[in-house]
Amino acid sequence: MDDGKDRVRLSVLDVSQAKLDPADALAFVSDPGFGGLSMFVGKVRDLNHGRDVLGVSYDMFDSLALTVFRQAAAEAFAGCGPKLKVYVAHAKGRLAVGDVAVVVAAGSPHRDEAFRACRAVIEAVKHRAPIWKQEHYRDGDSVWSEGCSLCVPADGHDGQGH
Amino acid sequence: MKIELKLFGAFREFDPAPHIVLEVAEGAKVADLRRAVLDYATSRWPAFRPGLLAGSAFASDTEVLRDDAVLPVDGRMAVLPPVSGG
Repeated sequence: MDDGKDRVRLSVLDVSQAKLDPADALAFVSDPGFGGLSMFVGKVRDLNHGRDVLGVSYDMFDSLALTVFRQAAAEAFAGCGPKLKVYVAHAKGRLAVGDVAVVVAAGSPHRDEAFRACRAVIEAVKHRAPIWKQEHYRDGDSVWSEGCSLCVPADGHDGQGH
Repeated sequence: MKIELKLFGAFREFDPAPHIVLEVAEGAKVADLRRAVLDYATSRWPAFRPGLLAGSAFASDTEVLRDDAVLPVDGRMAVLPPVSGG
């Protein structure tokens, strides 16, 4: 498992302190030997389940979320590496429509590994990281999103909702 | 033993504090804590829905724990409702 600081960068950013920067992600996963960089940028959408959304608030168990990010990166190295760099940054706090909520990037010598690593890591972030989204609607209501259960059944397999 | 249970996501709506303190037997397991949370929630949180707890996992400071896992001796736990990051 290679999770050295020069190959993996993981962060949680409080949006009252700093904004997520996709350029920072691309710079980090760049390398003279890498011909392929892949990036996913998740932004706050203005409509969900037919309701007008003004913004969202993200709650997070920071230390455990970073552990899940690290595991996801390690799995990417095992499945797509070893020549790989992985970047994950997730926002915490209140965001407005159009603000960047998450950035995942991967760099590798060729595009296939970069695409696969980026996809695997963002799916792990969305389905396994202890992060919760509360949507704020134009009508003044706020609702915590239905999400993926992290319950682990007795047979030991992950009980992922979707 | 005392368990300091951190609240996240939808659970934050029920209590203004970032955690609640529950008493469980020495050597208790996650399943015992789950029952203790259900008792606490149904008696104190009018808006609480048991289905939320049924879909929630429990974690120490470092990992998600199965219901048959013994609670950590430091008593530091968190209840994790279904996640919705990204």
